[in-house]
Formats: sequence, C-alpha cells, structure tokens
Amino acid sequence: MDILHHIFYGLGVALQPVNLLFCFTGVLIGTLVGVLPGLGPVAAISLLLPATFRAPPVASIIMLSGIYYGAMYGGSTTSILVNIPGEAASVVTCFDGYQMARRGRAGPALGIAAFASFISGTLAVVGLAFMAPPLAAMALKFGPPEYFSLMVLGLTVLTFLAGGSMLKSLMMACFGVVIGNVGLDLITARPRFTFGLDILLDGVGLVPVVMGLFGISEVFLNVEEKLSERKIFETEFKGLLPNLQDWKESIWPILRGSGLGFFLGILPGGGAVISSFVSYGVEKKLSKHPEEFGKGAIGGVAGPEAANNSATAGAFIPLLTLGLPSNAVMAILLGALMIYNMPPGPRLITSHPNLFWGVISSMYIGNLMLLVLNLPLIGIWVKILKVPYPVLFPLILLFCLIGAYSLNNNPAEIGLMLIFGVLGYLMKKFKYDGAPLVLAMVLGPLMDNSLRQSLLMSGGSGMIFFTRPICLVILGAVTLILLLPVLPLISRIRKTVEKTEGN
Amino acid sequence: MRNTDRSSGLFWLAVGIVIAISSLKYGLGTLHEPGPGFITFFAGSILALLSLSLFFSSLRDQKDQGGFQSLWVGLKPLKVLYVIILLVAYTFSVKPIGFLISTFLLLFLLFRVKGTYRLKTILLMSLLVTVGSYIVFEIWLKAQLPKGILGF
Repeated sequence: MDILHHIFYGLGVALQPVNLLFCFTGVLIGTLVGVLPGLGPVAAISLLLPATFRAPPVASIIMLSGIYYGAMYGGSTTSILVNIPGEAASVVTCFDGYQMARRGRAGPALGIAAFASFISGTLAVVGLAFMAPPLAAMALKFGPPEYFSLMVLGLTVLTFLAGGSMLKSLMMACFGVVIGNVGLDLITARPRFTFGLDILLDGVGLVPVVMGLFGISEVFLNVEEKLSERKIFETEFKGLLPNLQDWKESIWPILRGSGLGFFLGILPGGGAVISSFVSYGVEKKLSKHPEEFGKGAIGGVAGPEAANNSATAGAFIPLLTLGLPSNAVMAILLGALMIYNMPPGPRLITSHPNLFWGVISSMYIGNLMLLVLNLPLIGIWVKILKVPYPVLFPLILLFCLIGAYSLNNNPAEIGLMLIFGVLGYLMKKFKYDGAPLVLAMVLGPLMDNSLRQSLLMSGGSGMIFFTRPICLVILGAVTLILLLPVLPLISRIRKTVEKTEGN
Repeated sequence: MRNTDRSSGLFWLAVGIVIAISSLKYGLGTLHEPGPGFITFFAGSILALLSLSLFFSSLRDQKDQGGFQSLWVGLKPLKVLYVIILLVAYTFSVKPIGFLISTFLLLFLLFRVKGTYRLKTILLMSLLVTVGSYIVFEIWLKAQLPKGILGF
C-alpha cells in the first residue's frame, strides 16, 4: 500500500491553496487555449513559462501541466460545435462529434467527451503512479552509454511516428541537434554558431523557438487564408448528460482508449494525436455498426477523447523517470525543471517527492475541475469561439511578443522568435514537421554530453555501445525501426519476383 | 517537372554542408576526447546526406507538382509579408519608443489587416488591449516592459 500512501501524500501537496489556485489557472487557460483555434498548448505553455519563474516551482509545474491536459478538453468543444479542431489531438473528434451536433445531439457529444476525458485522465494518473517508480528505479542503473542509446531511440521513434515523411523528420532532427548546440561549448568554452551575436552565447532559447514554430507560424498561415464564416450551433445545450444507451456504447471505447492512449503517450512523438487516430480506427473495427462511424457514432467521440487525454499523462513517464521528453510540451517542462534546479531523471521521485506526487495528484484534481469547468460553462466557451479572427490574431501575436521579450527583457529574443516563425511557416508550406526539431534541440546538448562521457569511459572506443547489453537491445530496436519503412518495399519486391516466377 | 521537395532538399543540403564545414573549424577532436565541433559535424553531415537523398528521390517523381507559386494559390502571401514587416519594425522600435506607444501602433495596424471595422472601433480596441496588457503584464506580473525614451 506504498502507492496509496504516496498518492495521499501527493494529494496533500496538491490541495494546498497555492497549488489549487495554480492548478485552476492552468486548466482554465488550457481550456481557453484548446477552444481558440490557432493557439495550441505548446505555444501557450512556452508563453507562460517566463511568468512562472518567480512562482514556487511545484505550483508552476502543476499549472503548466494543467494547461496541457486542459487544452485536450477544450479542443473537443470546438471540434464538436464548429467542426474546427482547437488543436491537433481533437481532429478525430470532428468526425463524429460534429455529426452528432448536426443531428441535434451536441449536448451528449460534449458531455461524453468531457466524461471520457475525465475517466481516462483518472485511469492514466493511477497508471502513472504505479509505473513511474519501478521505471525510475531501473533507470538508476543507466550510465551515459545507455542514455545516449535511449535518446537515439527516442528520436528515431519520433521521426517514425511523426506525421509526414520520415526522411524530412530525420532532417529536422539533425537540424535541431545543431540548434541545440549553438552557444558556448561547455568543455572548451568556445562559441559555436553564434555569428558574433551575444544573445546566442547562452544558446538558442527553447521558448522563442517553440513560440515561433508553433505560435507565430500558425498565425501567418491563417492570415493569408481567405476569411470563412464559422457556423456555430445556436441550440440550447439542455441535455449535456449522455443517456444510458450512450453510456453502453461508450464505456468500452473509453476504457480501450484510455489504455491505448496511455501506452502510446509514453512513446516519443505526438502521442495524443496518434492515439486519438488509432483509437478511432480500433473502435470502428470493433463496433457492431461500423457504418455509423462518420455519421455521429458516440463511440467515435468517446474513444479518441479518452485516448488523447490519457496520452498526455503517459507522456509524463519518460520525462519524470528518465529525464527524457517525449514531445514538445514535455521538452518545455524539462527546460522549466532545469530552471527550477530540479533536473528530471530517475532521482527526481526520491529527491523531490513533493514535485512528483504533487503534480500527479494535481492532475487528478485538475481533471475534476475540468469536468466542472467544461459542462456548465460551455456557453462561455461558445461565446469565446465567436471572437472573430481579425481581432484574435493580433492578440495572439501580442502575447507572443510580450512572452518572448520578458524572457530576458531583450528585444533580440523577439527577433529570434520571428526568425523561427518564418522558418516554421515555410516548413509547414514545404511539409516539414516542427516537433522533431524541438525535441532534438533539447536532446542535442544532452546527447553531446552523454556521447562524450561514454567515449571517455571507453577510452575512445565506439564499441562501448555494443558491449553493454541494454545498449545493444536499444540500438537493435533503433535499427529495426529505421528498417521498417524499407520492409514493405522488400516484401513488394519479393511479391513481384514471385509473380514473375509464377508466370 | 517542378517539385517543391527538390528545392527544399537543395536548401537543406546547403545548410548541412555549411554546418559540417564550420564544425571542422571548431575542431572535431579525437574519439578519445571529442572536440566542440564533434556532434554538430555529424548532425550537419547526416542532414546533408538526407537532403541529398530527398533531392534524388524527388527527381524520380515525374509528376509536375508546380513550383513555389503552387504553395500560395488562392492565398494572400503579401498579407503575411506585411505582418512580418510590422513585427520586425516592432522588434526594433519597442525599446526606443516604449511599450505603450509601439504596441498601440502595432495593434492599430494589425487589426486592419483582416478586419473591416470602422476607424473608431479599431482605435478603441487597440487602446483597450494596450492598456489591458500593460495592466496584466507590467503591473500584475511585473514583466518590466520597455519604457522608451519618453519615460512611459
């Protein structure tokens, strides 16, 4: 009953008034960001990061996590009501949620989305509490070679799972490694890639890069679009509670989605987005009425909503146990923990139990708050949706400008953000994914360090990565993943060969 | 047979080569004691190799996907350019002119980019947002926004 003891300890931390307030602020901002199209959780968290520097660290992390899972809640609202996903993880919710709304069942669709998120969020928190400590204990045995291999694995899995071309994702990861190594070299104190600019001596800041790639670029893409009228349902949301039949059709999708999301969330790269798509596919396959999917099947809302929520909790596992981020949001949280002088890793659970258990328990409380926020306040969120884009985008830009400036009170940070904004805009045009770049940027210096340490350990022999069993297994997995896209090609070639032989 | 992958592949090829060459200058060190350019050299070289393979695989694609213009069909890229220029101007002017004036001007111009509001409405909105953000960030969050030479 050790776990139970820890959870109660965590609840004690999370229920402190300061932490409750920060948790509430977090989920409120998260929902808002989720509702507003064009401003995702990644940009919002990096925007608020500088504002938390003066706040207590535990409360800050609680708030930043709240933004993350709160956005998943909010995103579903716009998907259902206007067929515009507030963020990528609720794209799937549009398929059936919007159809339900068109059939006059917007209420139950919103209701089941909120309940599914709540149930899966809760289950995932329990999973996190059970899985993280043993994993951390195992990770304590890892040395630099193991960490280096793990990071290579992480980047590989990311490029494999990330949307679009794997080749382009790998390219962005390489570029990210370079960006991450800009600045003074820690060992020789020589500047690298600084172009003589003082601002780059400390390295390229994560916040301007992320706000540029995920915030500013999104605005640019929307500015050049022709204005389209958003139609919002003017119906009254009387019956938000799903009926018994709805529950019967949703409960298994919710449970399956929770499990799926949790484990996919642990893997690096877009866990929430991918798990929602996978869950939709699974439910469509398993359903007795697959023809209903796409026409307003409630299971098609419940499953993916559950999956994207538990994936956000799963994503915390590699960060809190290994110190390795699995997506852009976790990368920012890693940066935050470093600033608060609580480097994440296997020792975090024992050295800062108040942080670990407090944050986990706050997620449980946050889920409860979201349920209360989302269901009765839906009318307010709908009103916010009506803010027209010509008014909205200058506000988003202004927040980004202030956020970047207040990092160091330096306009050069704004310039850096704009450069990455333009780069992100062009990357989206030419179909390059920004996530591998951000992740590799954070992992770059860590990889540099662990690689150099490994080589020092082995006296300059690369063989160290092949003689340690854990390394060998991890690098074997890397090879396998890199070969996977080639495999169908091999089988196709084989088939053609067989055909010609048969003829 | 134009294709956007071909041009972006060449672009990243150039970036990769520049990174690799500069890394050589920073010093690779030895395997025993890797130098400051060690990891960036490999990252740059791999980037160059991958870009090269993107370039060649795009050559195999015989379909004409259109050039750069195809990425902006039916869109208004000049508006993006205008917004970028405004933001760059803001970056350079925010310190000398101060937060309040430069933000008000920026918002005034930005609200007009896509909106068709009356001048009075835009002036009022810009004023409200400028003052509102000043209260939230400067007074409440103590962000120390730039004051400018006029002292406000």
